[in-house]
Amino acid sequence: MVKTRSGWRLHLASVLTFMVVAGALVWTLYPLLWVVLSSIKPEQDQFAIPPVWFGSRLTLDNYIRFFQDASFLKTLVNSTVITTLSTALSLLLGVPSAYGLSRFHLRYKDILSIGVLLVRMLPPIVMVIPIFLLARTFRLLDTYTVMVLVGAFFSVPFVIWMMKGFFDEVPTELEEAAMVDGSSRAWAMWRVIVPLTGPGMAATAVLSALIVWNEFLYALVLTGANTRTLPVLVNSFVSEKTVNWGVMSAAGVVAALPLVLFGLSIQKHLIRGLTAGAIK
Amino acid sequence: MNAAQKLPSREFREKILFLAPGLGYIGVLFVFPLLYSLYVSLTQWNLLRPDLGVRWVGVANFVSLLRDPFTWQTVARTAYFVFGSVALELVLGMILALALNREFPGVGVIRSIILIPFIIAPVVVGFTWRFLLNNDFGPLPHLFSALHLNFLVNPPLLSNASLVIPMLIVIDAWQYMPFVTLVLLAGLKALPSEPYEAALVDGASPVQQFFRITLPLLRPALLVAVIIRTMTALRVFDTVFVMTGGGPGSASEVLSFYGYRMAFQSYQMGMSAAIGLLTLLIALVLTLFLMRSGSQS
Repeated sequence: MVKTRSGWRLHLASVLTFMVVAGALVWTLYPLLWVVLSSIKPEQDQFAIPPVWFGSRLTLDNYIRFFQDASFLKTLVNSTVITTLSTALSLLLGVPSAYGLSRFHLRYKDILSIGVLLVRMLPPIVMVIPIFLLARTFRLLDTYTVMVLVGAFFSVPFVIWMMKGFFDEVPTELEEAAMVDGSSRAWAMWRVIVPLTGPGMAATAVLSALIVWNEFLYALVLTGANTRTLPVLVNSFVSEKTVNWGVMSAAGVVAALPLVLFGLSIQKHLIRGLTAGAIK
Repeated sequence: MNAAQKLPSREFREKILFLAPGLGYIGVLFVFPLLYSLYVSLTQWNLLRPDLGVRWVGVANFVSLLRDPFTWQTVARTAYFVFGSVALELVLGMILALALNREFPGVGVIRSIILIPFIIAPVVVGFTWRFLLNNDFGPLPHLFSALHLNFLVNPPLLSNASLVIPMLIVIDAWQYMPFVTLVLLAGLKALPSEPYEAALVDGASPVQQFFRITLPLLRPALLVAVIIRTMTALRVFDTVFVMTGGGPGSASEVLSFYGYRMAFQSYQMGMSAAIGLLTLLIALVLTLFLMRSGSQS
């Protein structure tokens, strides 16, 4: 009697699990598939009423049109340049700070760590007016410089908290042994600790790139014809009167795909990095 | 000896060398614009009227902001959005985390697929849903019509003042439920097994186990999800900008959009800075409240 009851429960649990997972998959994939399929649909099928999921034939025309348009291609280049430089800068600035917060005895360590966390929690709208006005005063509007500096500002706090977590896991004896041999702390960190935390650093770089690549508010305000990024381009499509859904979908896929692949490759660290600092 | 005392110690120099660049950078980029923003918020500064210059008006911007019922309507709309999104994501994320916590073939792949919306740029998410909801060429209105859910089609969801925020909440959940799910899943994986063994002996039902054991033990993970999601929901801008532009009317105008509109459509820098600082104040109070209520247990 007891056995059949628990067996029935196990069965019910499996059915419920299946239903929840199937529902979640449909819910997640429905919008994604629509855009991906629209990007490989010929133009006449975009305007079918009622809409069709599969075009009459498979075509790469939308992608070709995206990559043949110099101004579209420029946004892809801009996004890549800004993301790469921002990420490099934020690692350069953030990794030593993370190491310092992990290793040194500091009087104000808690205050510093919480300060970094506060900057991370800051609503972007708070800083957009002063940064816009300052960039305007210093004639930095529509330059890579301001976008790289702002991108690094947003990702450095993540880099610090995420890397601090990885450094905390490495025993201090390792670099102490190297420092006994006479090398400086910077050298010991570079030769001993950095290689050990390599995978963590790669994950941190991806998270940092993700933040900058997807950023929209500052890109909208600070970029112009020369520096506009992919999210700004996708937005400009939406506000146009004559919409070409196919090319727009292709642009959406181009904007999303590279970082989705990178992001999935570090998914274990992604959540960890984003929640670092929120729990003790 | 004397010379060594005067020079900063090697250890001190090391600390500066490691900490100063990173912390200094975010410190300067945080404090300087924030002070500047405070200054701007105390002025009347119209970018389209350089002839008027920048006029010092004291706290007049804050006074008119706090007196304007529109401000409080915007705060209420933002609260509606934040509370709705976080609640929906917690409930759905919890259910999905419980399902994904079970072992079955393909669970790893499914976890990856579910994470995808979270990695996509919010602007692309906004475009995607705008396309899906397009009354002529999008699949969703046709699906709604087929299901006789005409109130979702006519007027179109994006132009329906009473449904626009619920719709933005659903889209927010599409993007951020994966995050909540994976945070809670990590929490579930770390739960001890002893309480469940004891519950099994006592004959507690799965529902009782969930409410009496799982939920209380999961409190730290729930708190992390709530704090981070509240802060990110409060800053929502991209999807609103792309999908509704704050409309119809101002039915979906949230705080960050209000601040943006004041600066870049009305060109009132002082008012916009004041809105930004009000948003900062709300964010700070919320964070402290959530962290305190979390640490009380």
